[in-house]
Amino acid sequence: MIQLHNVGMSYQPEVAALSDINLKIPKGDFVFLTGQSGAGKSTLLKLLYAELTPSRGQVLIDGQNLTRLSRSQIPLVRRSIGVVFQDYKLLPNRTVLENVAITLEVLGWGQRDIGKKVFHILKRMGLESKLNSTPLRLSGGEQQRVALARALVNDPKILIADEPTGNLDEENKEAILNFFKEANNRGTTVVVATHDRRVIENSHRRVIRLDKGRIVDQGEPSLPGEESAEVPDGSVQG
Amino acid sequence: MAASKANSMKNTPKPAASVRPKLAQEGFFGRLSYFSARALANLRQNVFVSLVTVATISLALLIGALFLLVYVNLEGLANGWSDKVQITAYFDKEPAPLAVAALKTTVKSIPGTKSVTFISKQEAESRLRARLKGQESLLEGVNADVLPASLEIRLDREHRDNFAVTHYVAALKKVQGISEVQYGEEWVQRFNTFMNFFRLMGLLLGSFLTVAVLFIVSNTIKLTIYARKEELELLSLVGATRFFIKAPFLIEGILQGALGALLSLLALAGCYFAFMHNAGSFLGVNPAGAGLTFLSPLHLAAILGGGVLLGFIGSLTSLRRFINI
Repeated sequence: MIQLHNVGMSYQPEVAALSDINLKIPKGDFVFLTGQSGAGKSTLLKLLYAELTPSRGQVLIDGQNLTRLSRSQIPLVRRSIGVVFQDYKLLPNRTVLENVAITLEVLGWGQRDIGKKVFHILKRMGLESKLNSTPLRLSGGEQQRVALARALVNDPKILIADEPTGNLDEENKEAILNFFKEANNRGTTVVVATHDRRVIENSHRRVIRLDKGRIVDQGEPSLPGEESAEVPDGSVQG
Repeated sequence: MAASKANSMKNTPKPAASVRPKLAQEGFFGRLSYFSARALANLRQNVFVSLVTVATISLALLIGALFLLVYVNLEGLANGWSDKVQITAYFDKEPAPLAVAALKTTVKSIPGTKSVTFISKQEAESRLRARLKGQESLLEGVNADVLPASLEIRLDREHRDNFAVTHYVAALKKVQGISEVQYGEEWVQRFNTFMNFFRLMGLLLGSFLTVAVLFIVSNTIKLTIYARKEELELLSLVGATRFFIKAPFLIEGILQGALGALLSLLALAGCYFAFMHNAGSFLGVNPAGAGLTFLSPLHLAAILGGGVLLGFIGSLTSLRRFINI
């Protein structure tokens, strides 16, 4: 369960990036966060994985108040959250395998287990032939899938994605969305920020609209696994 | 194809059901081996940046080490001159041979005495004659009785400064039978002033060099870490603790510092032996005969330790700026 109570965020005094945000996202929900550029989508996501601390209010993840955590407790929370960043944040001098393995290395897994798990997820993403490539040799869609694999390899409780379909063609968009749905089907709460109307309309999921840092539409919480019949479950592009 | 993949996805375990494998980093050695492996992989993956860092550390330490080598040799040379600090104690009357031994023992018991030589009247005369060889006419009418007997005293190295010599002379004057003491007061003062000036200059130059070396090395490391700040940020965002992020960077810093120091010592040894081998032909002096020495093992260890410390502290302070994510 993700809860935000009266959250406000200002990067500069008197300029509010977010104000009076009250929001509940139940466990297992699939939520789209939408709004124009500058509406505060990315800021709200950053509050969820504690990259930012709110100027006002409380952010709770599974009852844990992120605003009251010490610096040493924050990593532990982040380990249960998978994040797909807008700019992917892939390390250019490491291979695809190493980029995905980072999440498990942080948890202290052994090399052999990491190898198996990473290979498994990259195979699911159709990237098994790119294990030893560096990200710069991959297409945009492939880089996006590596970033997604890194976020999902740890089976996180929450998956957060910031504009994951921004630079992708229709085919890749659909593949990425299918991975999100599949993770959601397995119980992961998914929060996706996007301004792509087509993606939202096709998915029939809860949509939270932001405008100038305020929530203008909360949407209706959707049930886990509930989705549009138009998108076949698990149709993966390889 | 798509259907089979879809099936395989549906069969994957749910998050709650996933089994956490055995940790590879348990225990001190497990962690150390993981972090060392990570540090080596980082060095490999950032070869160019690593080489620039090692080269910078190496050059900076080489400048410091060269200065130290010159300083140590100059000080050795200057200390050699202090051997000329000699005290001569003259007697009113030549003491009897038996009394000489007792006098020598008394003088030797004064702290700071290195050696005592008795010069009899006869010996003084023969020395003078030897010195004025070819001008014997000057010595007409001079016999041994005119010249006083004396004790020639050399002091320990630690007792050659102004204060110690004055103190020693005062003690010497109290010995019965000694009428006059000469020790080239002006020379001792000049020599000691020069040595103090030389040490002060060495300290000042050494301090400037140390600050410059620290500045260059810490900024180089800062730049290399800045170049990898995205990696630091990402590690933090996927839940790495600050220790987990820092440890491989610190090991990298230590390795780069040690490698830089080793290279600087190799280059220093190369310079030194090349100089010793070739100085004869272009300086016209034999450097081996001039008593030049290489740095002592203690100095070498200090430079190596300095390199390691530079790498470690440079990385630590630079990381502090970036790991507040």
